[in-house]
Amino acid sequence: MTAAMAPTLTRTAVKPFYFNTSAHLLRITRQKATNLAELLQALRECPENSIFQHTFRTLQEHHFIREGFSNDFAHWALSSCNEPSLAENLASVDVREFTSVAQLRECFVQIVEKFLQRSPVSATRGARETFYFCAADTIVIPTSFVAHSLPEFAEGLRHVSVHSLHHHFIEARLRLRLMSNDFSQWLLEDLGLPDAARQLNRIDIYTATMENVRQQILRIVERALL
Amino acid sequence: MMEPTQSQLAGEVTSQAITSPEVQHPSAIPAPAPAARPERRKKPRIRQTPPEPVPPPHLDDYKGIVGEASIDELRFLANGLKGKTVKMVNSTAVGGGVAEMLNQMVPLLNEVEVKTHWEVITGGNDFFEVTKAFHNALQGSDYQLTQQARDIFLMHNQINSQRIQFNEDFVVIHDPQPAALIHSRDDSRRWVWRCHIDLSNPSREVWEFLAPFIERYDAAIFSSQSFTRQLAIPQYLFYPCIDPLSEKNKELEDSFIQKVCDEFGIDRSRPIVTQVSRFDRAKDPVGVIEAFKQARKYVDCQLVLAGGGATDDPEGAAVLKEVLEAAGDDPDIIILDLPPWCALEINALQRASTLIVQKSIREGFGLTVTEALWKGKPTIAGAVGGIPNQIIHKLTGALVHSVDGCAYQIRYLLTHPDFARQLGHNGREHVKENFLMTTNVRRWLLLLRILAGQSK
Repeated sequence: MTAAMAPTLTRTAVKPFYFNTSAHLLRITRQKATNLAELLQALRECPENSIFQHTFRTLQEHHFIREGFSNDFAHWALSSCNEPSLAENLASVDVREFTSVAQLRECFVQIVEKFLQRSPVSATRGARETFYFCAADTIVIPTSFVAHSLPEFAEGLRHVSVHSLHHHFIEARLRLRLMSNDFSQWLLEDLGLPDAARQLNRIDIYTATMENVRQQILRIVERALL
Repeated sequence: MMEPTQSQLAGEVTSQAITSPEVQHPSAIPAPAPAARPERRKKPRIRQTPPEPVPPPHLDDYKGIVGEASIDELRFLANGLKGKTVKMVNSTAVGGGVAEMLNQMVPLLNEVEVKTHWEVITGGNDFFEVTKAFHNALQGSDYQLTQQARDIFLMHNQINSQRIQFNEDFVVIHDPQPAALIHSRDDSRRWVWRCHIDLSNPSREVWEFLAPFIERYDAAIFSSQSFTRQLAIPQYLFYPCIDPLSEKNKELEDSFIQKVCDEFGIDRSRPIVTQVSRFDRAKDPVGVIEAFKQARKYVDCQLVLAGGGATDDPEGAAVLKEVLEAAGDDPDIIILDLPPWCALEINALQRASTLIVQKSIREGFGLTVTEALWKGKPTIAGAVGGIPNQIIHKLTGALVHSVDGCAYQIRYLLTHPDFARQLGHNGREHVKENFLMTTNVRRWLLLLRILAGQSK
């Protein structure tokens, strides 16, 4: 019997799902910005894991905030440069629309470039606080949770840390190079549940805390179990 | 949950609760009449001597706070370091934040079988006078570096390098005092310099003297991005942290909080605004009083300024005098000069507070802010030093730059309790994520693994 043919409650996955998590250490890089012109320059030159830190990772670090926080660049543009329209544009960048850090970097560069073309006077106006570029050094860590079936998957989801959720649900697209995540890929390919996989990809991570995201994922998985 | 016994609270008074007769509020819009004020003791009962030290906690004790998954992560990270050894070196075994941190960190690293040994350097008065001057100069004070000071610094580092064996896989040197021990390194070991002070504006002479030592390390660690210098070695960010199980931060029974408030004559039926800090101009206690007086024209509240340092520091005594003058005979301003072992009382005061203020105009990392956030308190703080790392304006607290800004935030948060509650909630989560002892254990384990070549 293939995975897709058995009832979801008893269906055994083609491959088990191993819940991992990732731990990151912040490294302070050479780049810093005291105005928007320097931000643009640093965005072009900084290492890729700096872009990763100030977008994907900062979202993880602030997983408890429901609204008003998107990425460090947007936050700095508003709080230190007092440029609300630039901040709005930067904040609207959704990391889930990118499968590589290079694409994400290019997007930020273009936004700042366009803004400075429209408002060249803003380029060298001093920011209240310096923006220090950091980078994340990462180690992937296994957890004790392994799912061979949907009930075991739900059990793992209930217990793993929010960092594990972030690792599989948000950072995964950089590994997969797909507009998807580890959970959806497993539900689709190893359990034959395309609807649940699709629904997971529609969860809005910018208007919910990671704990809310966990509850939304669980609701979708529990519905699939019915 | 531990609570001090009555006998711990009883005894002779060692602090002053400065009180004064009630006066009419100088309000433009009169605040509501306060409820009957609790009688304030002229001599509040507090512990007269430091409590017995408690044994350090075990990792499992933190499970209820950070979750089992987080503790499992630490054990997994440590597995990759089994058999590795670490030596921590600093300049003092007791007193000060570094010794306090090492007292907690070293047992936790040993518990996960990363064998960690802590060594304290020795030196004469001449050495510690020089290093104290270096410490101040590196944080911006004027200083003339003499050849004699250089010689004393190098001689004592040399003596210590002959006395201390460096056979461990990793050697971590804390702060500038032992920095020249790097002369003892051999290439088979990894050496890290952990800098706990702000190097953003150092004396050029002192920094140029120390920098060649620092650049021989494999990595440096700073407490904030803004505290760093340009160096040719990797620099990592380790925020200072608090221990959620310490007397200063553990959960308290409400009956104990009430008892402390009663002792100090604090009325819990009215809003309480508190600043906890040494009587030090850098903490701007007089500015806090001005902000409080401005805010109280519109909202009823009391101000508690709780601190210490006035008895053993001439400048502290002078600042306390200025604070008393600024407070005048206002019955709603309660000034408490507490001895350093009153951690439980400080904890209770923070937990009793409606808002916490830390209106510093210069600051290190600002661990009193971390403590306030951990207690879920809406916190207003000066945007200096490491405070912006902790307070994201309007998300985890309120950053201010002036007395007027501080007054406005006091008014706003006291009159918008839902928003204030959300800030308090976010602040606590921010601390849980970034500024707890367990997070720092994780950072150390990660760094050791990275230095051992085990990162992604």
